[in-house]
Amino acid sequence: MTALLKIENLELRVPGRDPLLRGISFEVQKGEAVALVGESGSGKSLTTRAALGLYPDTAELRGAVRIGGIDTVSADKAQLRTIRRVQASMIFQDPRSGINPVRKIGDFLTETLVRWRGYSPADAAQLALTQLEQVGLPRAESLLGQYPHQLSGGMLQRVMIAGALLDEPEIMLCDEPTTALDVTTQASIIELLRVQQQARGMGMLFITHDLSLAASLCDRVIVLRQGQIVETGRTQEVFQNPREQYTRELLAATPKLEVSLQASPLENASQAASVSESVVKPDTESPAVRAVEISKQYEVRGRDDVHALANVSFSLKRGGSLGIVGESGSGKSTFARILVGLEQPTSGDLYIDGILRPKRSLRASERREFAAHTQMVFQDPYLSLDPRIPVGKAVADVVKLHRQVSNAEALAAATELFDRVGITAQQLAAKPRALSGGQRQRVALAKALAAQPTMLVLDEATSALDVSVQARVLELVEEIRDEFKLTIVFVSHDLAVVSRICDETLVMQNGQVVEHGETKQILGNPRAPYTRKLIDSRPVPLWAAAS
Amino acid sequence: MTDTQPATTRALSQPVRFKRRNRFFSRVGSAAIVFITLVVLTVIFAPVVAPYNPDHADLMNVLAGPSPAHWLGTDSLGRDLLSRILYGGRTALVGPLLVVVISTTIGLILGLIAAWRGGWIDALLSRIFDFLFAFPALLLAILAIALFGKGLTGPVIAMTIAYIPFIARLARGLVVSEMSRPYVQAYSVLGFRSTWIAVRRVLPNIFPVVGAQATLYFGYVLADLASLSFIGLGVQAPQADWGGMINESRGSLQSGDFLPTLAPALVVILVVVAINIIGEELSERIGGDFS
Repeated sequence: MTALLKIENLELRVPGRDPLLRGISFEVQKGEAVALVGESGSGKSLTTRAALGLYPDTAELRGAVRIGGIDTVSADKAQLRTIRRVQASMIFQDPRSGINPVRKIGDFLTETLVRWRGYSPADAAQLALTQLEQVGLPRAESLLGQYPHQLSGGMLQRVMIAGALLDEPEIMLCDEPTTALDVTTQASIIELLRVQQQARGMGMLFITHDLSLAASLCDRVIVLRQGQIVETGRTQEVFQNPREQYTRELLAATPKLEVSLQASPLENASQAASVSESVVKPDTESPAVRAVEISKQYEVRGRDDVHALANVSFSLKRGGSLGIVGESGSGKSTFARILVGLEQPTSGDLYIDGILRPKRSLRASERREFAAHTQMVFQDPYLSLDPRIPVGKAVADVVKLHRQVSNAEALAAATELFDRVGITAQQLAAKPRALSGGQRQRVALAKALAAQPTMLVLDEATSALDVSVQARVLELVEEIRDEFKLTIVFVSHDLAVVSRICDETLVMQNGQVVEHGETKQILGNPRAPYTRKLIDSRPVPLWAAAS
Repeated sequence: MTDTQPATTRALSQPVRFKRRNRFFSRVGSAAIVFITLVVLTVIFAPVVAPYNPDHADLMNVLAGPSPAHWLGTDSLGRDLLSRILYGGRTALVGPLLVVVISTTIGLILGLIAAWRGGWIDALLSRIFDFLFAFPALLLAILAIALFGKGLTGPVIAMTIAYIPFIARLARGLVVSEMSRPYVQAYSVLGFRSTWIAVRRVLPNIFPVVGAQATLYFGYVLADLASLSFIGLGVQAPQADWGGMINESRGSLQSGDFLPTLAPALVVILVVVAINIIGEELSERIGGDFS
């Protein structure tokens, strides 16, 4: 076997900082798929880019990165071009930002063939067509004439893969190519990559933060942390017998569908009955949320109305926890926004604690009252905090708004809340940008709690975080739920995350409720085919799939 | 791990990500700031710094060249040029300052209202801005002068009205993009009043960008007002003003005396260029180029 990519003792530093990469050494053999796993800041993208000679401008390099006999550390521009044209191709995380939006798919695919390989435009188009069919895109012919915005994210990622394969690379570098995609789409893209890699005998370096994804695709895994290799080995061994503490922590933090939660089919039958009963049966006291035939339509000029929600009905008892699961475009976020009053439903009634939400924009006092009942944590902790306001003041402001207290009392209350969510007193004066993603989400939680709500809506509140951070934030949410007796509505694309927090789960697709019931039942014995598909789309380790 | 690490170790492991290591202004920008500061100081302290009374005519000493007594020489009425430039700066700088401050204030308020309220208010205000855009500033100035008479007041009012739509449209765009950001929605969900969010939280966040742009406009307005004075519609003789001085001394050009025209013209150019450099650099650093 020959090593397609051989990295020896690579060290990368930029002036004024600790080394970003230290002593990185590994090889990728012909026909081998290697996963590079790590959290943000671990250096996994930097390492992969090194294979193409893409270094930060001010980087100081030591060591060697050999690819096709050329060392990218010392290579000149012409040699790097050869590597990029012939040896290696790269697929990026977000297909939409990697493609020129004003040029047709056909132009994108044939450009390199015509300019550098010397094909005639007709031959190049023919090659592109074959390649598009190979990556499983239907109606390839008409695709060539289409623009990127006409394609879905999954289709576009297939186009990018087709483009990468057209160069007939010896090694394929994949930088989190499925992170921006839905679970079901992710499953099919992973399948495609696996098939192409095996059929062509390509080498593959696959970057991911998701250990289970690595296990479903790669033979070997390299775990990175803070620019250093922590552990490396055959995927199955690393998974089943991790040698290092950090690997164990990562594995523990990776969300899974809890097997213990899944009931046996026999139990399920009786449970299913009781569940559907409890959902329909009105509670003795009015439920925390009762949605009756809620629909939401958006008018789009020149096109048909978009039905974001269609007749969504359910109820959630006080102190309950409901997970709303669905893929992008399922309407789950729209519903969350209606729940907190950021949007108005087009039709239908929403009862909160038995009180009908008025169908007009609320007065300031009503909104404040309402805010004291329902709070929300947003998805992106980098955008949901005001960049200019120190976090301590941000929380104290909320305390002051809802309880008429002095500045000092408000600050004391804020400090107490921060203590509860695990933010130290020194960080009260910090602006959001000085905090990490996990810390910001803790601040967002403290801010929501400052209004003393009885219901908390979390809209993908952990999906922007690293797995280990996500695990701890989820833990915090559980603690807070019990301590403050909160009703929880957790919106997520990830069944595993929901299964951990929520007793009830509601599955949505295209604005409609597909299935609603106890989480146990939904995971153990889903009734709707779509729910089954969602569960099956979760990555399965290679060794488990083989058996 | 990263989540619970105290801020200090975090700062060690990734120290420079958010800190700007290069200086805020470039060398040229810093020079521009020093120059403007000097100009402003000398103009403010003109009574102390200026060697002569700017209006004192010395008819025995007409169109004298530079000398130890008169550093820049004298004009056609024998008035000391340096003193006139120093005093002239007062009207030349106060005019644009008034215009920029008033138009920025009103523009911000109108832009904020348009974006925040949306609907027909936005439509109406936007159409008014469009109308003002289409209206030539100079025509507006002449109209204002017809109403208020010659002097500083008319041109300042006209220029203020002419610049309001520029600031308002910029502010409106910034507020609209800011409103779509989750932190604004977070405030709303937390129960804060809409006006409070708009005025206390969104306005300060967009102000740096608007302020940088307003600095650029200061230079444009200074040049505009100087031109109005030059065509005789602005500040009236004998009061010293840079634009007016260029006009007064125009005749001397034919007799070969360049300095009385050139000196105030050069000052106008230098000040406008310096202000533009500062404005450009502010815009670049703070948030994109909106000009």
